[in-house]
Amino acid sequence: MEHEKINECVIMKDLYYSVEDNTWIRVNEDGSVTVGMTDIAQNLAGPILHAKAKSAGTDRKKGKPIATVESGKWVGPVKSPISGVITEVNEKLVGDAQLINRSPYRDGWVVKMKPESLEAELKELVTGDNAVAAYKTKIEHDNIKACTHIEGSDTYE
Amino acid sequence: MADHEGKKILVIQTHGVETPTRTYSPLFYAMAAAAMEMEVMVWFTMNGTNQLKKGEAEKVQLDKTSDVTLKTMLKMAMESDVKLRVCQQSLELWSMKKEDLIEGVEILGATSIIDLALSYDHTMYF
Repeated sequence: MEHEKINECVIMKDLYYSVEDNTWIRVNEDGSVTVGMTDIAQNLAGPILHAKAKSAGTDRKKGKPIATVESGKWVGPVKSPISGVITEVNEKLVGDAQLINRSPYRDGWVVKMKPESLEAELKELVTGDNAVAAYKTKIEHDNIKACTHIEGSDTYE
Repeated sequence: MADHEGKKILVIQTHGVETPTRTYSPLFYAMAAAAMEMEVMVWFTMNGTNQLKKGEAEKVQLDKTSDVTLKTMLKMAMESDVKLRVCQQSLELWSMKKEDLIEGVEILGATSIIDLALSYDHTMYF
């Protein structure tokens, strides 16, 4: 899949991003969306120890937490980039939260959701070259250090 | 994850910069509660007050390989919407005035803490 690396941080061009909250969504063929943390987010958090998602069936407005994530040096919410209902939680994260570090855009997804008003909310997210440009600005502005990837991480060559 | 949205947690911190290993965890718990959508306040009293003196928290760094200091933790807590409050009487104990406090901290009196302790769902004492 097409991607770009900025300061060793991977941005997948087919995803939609909430740059401020460092989250992404993938629009699936059945109309559901998959939500996860970005490579930059996993890098800022460091090796993740626990990830606890809200239960399936939970109704979330955009910006409300869909999960909490904690590492040795950080704890915080994963904020939903869209409004909708959580339909599935990535159970693999219960026993292996570092899946988010190793595979933020694939196996380390956090929840799947049934969106409430996807068409309108997609316009508030960025994708493709716009996402790359937005992250370039953010990385420079926030002085984010080069992304590091723990052993077993996905490769993007 | 159980839904605790709207619950209120009061964290009382009595330890200051002279005991660095007792400074990070209460803030970490406070941020965890905030991430779980709870309303969180950290109340600094006794020695805990000195953490909030300008220029002090920057000197406390538990992990020398990391650039995270106690000041970073306080800043992250505030960014997570954790309210930081300090005891009026304890300020006097440390000869501190309002202008000595880092930005974002509010001063409350002893009766306020009793009111808060009774109105919050749970109090954690450190």
